[in-house]
Amino acid sequence: MKKTLYIFQSGELRRKNNSLYFETDGRKKYIPVEDIGDIYIFGEVDVSKKFLEFASQKGICLHYFNRYGYYMGTFYPREHLNAGHIILKQAEHYLDTTKRILLARSFITGALRQMCQVLKYYRGRLQKGKGEIEDILVQLQSEKETANERGESVEELMAFEGHAREKYYKAFDYILNHPDFVFEKRSRRPPLNRLNALISFGNSICYTMVLSEIYKTYLDPRIGYLHATNFRRFSLNLDVAEIFKPIMVDRLIFTLINKKMITKKDFDKHTDGILLSEEGRKKFIVELDNRMKTTVNHRHLGKSVSYRRLIRLEIYKIQKHILDEKIYEPYQSLW
Amino acid sequence: MDYEMEVTGTHIWYYYICHREVWMIVHQLAPDQEDDNIEIGRFLSEHTYQRNKKEVVIGNIKVDRIRKEGEQLIIGEVKKSSRYKQSARFQLLYYLDTLRNMGIQAKGELLFPEEKKKEILEWTAQDKEELDKAIGDIQRIARLPVPPSPKKISFCSNCAYREYCWAEGTE
Repeated sequence: MKKTLYIFQSGELRRKNNSLYFETDGRKKYIPVEDIGDIYIFGEVDVSKKFLEFASQKGICLHYFNRYGYYMGTFYPREHLNAGHIILKQAEHYLDTTKRILLARSFITGALRQMCQVLKYYRGRLQKGKGEIEDILVQLQSEKETANERGESVEELMAFEGHAREKYYKAFDYILNHPDFVFEKRSRRPPLNRLNALISFGNSICYTMVLSEIYKTYLDPRIGYLHATNFRRFSLNLDVAEIFKPIMVDRLIFTLINKKMITKKDFDKHTDGILLSEEGRKKFIVELDNRMKTTVNHRHLGKSVSYRRLIRLEIYKIQKHILDEKIYEPYQSLW
Repeated sequence: MDYEMEVTGTHIWYYYICHREVWMIVHQLAPDQEDDNIEIGRFLSEHTYQRNKKEVVIGNIKVDRIRKEGEQLIIGEVKKSSRYKQSARFQLLYYLDTLRNMGIQAKGELLFPEEKKKEILEWTAQDKEELDKAIGDIQRIARLPVPPSPKKISFCSNCAYREYCWAEGTE
């Protein structure tokens, strides 16, 4: 399993012989290139063209974040896996409305199921708010059914998802029950409170993780089904991330706050919003990386796979759906 | 795919192991490049025998070894193990047949260096009939709009397509 490299320091990233080489304030570090799957760059890191060539040759995606932790973009190496057949099928599933809706609906019902799973997990562990969470679960259930039966267009489906997510976020206050981390309402760019800052940062990492995995398959990340393709660079990763955000980001946030690993000291107030500080981002990333390396048993494969690998398997399933091999059935966690 | 696809030795090899894999290869769907076996294989082929590449390309076949014993031309196919002997036999037979069509009468040799084993193979009309059947079937598989569904066989456990084939269902 390849590792992810996170760089918070400022310095220079180069190719030296056949290794990755990072130099910062006179300290030098070699990193074996064969071990690295992708690189997250948070610091002020200089790279040369020669380095980009090297990354491209090794199929390494570079994800850039600015000094506030906002996602800036990805150096997505030239496509190395190309199969005309798959691109045509992927476009066919986009252009044919019935086929597109089928996939879009799967992403939504998959996401809603995962949200329910998260709520059920915490329902059993709460002192206070069991009844409220139960109510929210009932509402999510009905949103899921509506999306399944009445979602005739992508816009409608997006609206159902929006409503459901609003209800889901209401449950956060019961799960966390912490005065420093109240939900209030969802706010982005900039997030207006700490909880929103955590959600935004976590989601943006989740999108890039899925993007890195898509790169290792034949699917083109520019063709998404739920998120419109026309106006953004990548959209398939946003679709797939819907399934993983609840278990990989939201549950991590609950753990970080409940175990007091992240406190209000880990945030910086800016003129208009509030964002994770560099220290906070580091803590978040360390825990997320640990979580992604954790393995679960996969009965069908007959071996254990990491959470990170589950993302790849999910994309394989979508690829199979697109090849008309097998109808896509979104991943459902049992924990 | 409406044109007659050219069958290669690789197609023949996989035909006797897994039809689904034949479809994948024909459609240019490579297996997981991060699979350990694939990485080891790539590393070995990039770094070994640099000075002594023995492979010879004749038309659309790639022969591992080629030598002459008197007037007799002998082509050799090297395999890691004799586990998939049927595959290896027909792959080599296909090479012999291709050479025959060029007017070259050759004998074949299957080499299993790790097992210190060697096997002589000669072209026969009976085997040729079986080979033609396989080639026809490979072309049929290539034209299928959807890949043949996966079947769990012993080859799966070391196959770099296994996560793709068996991605469904968890825990």
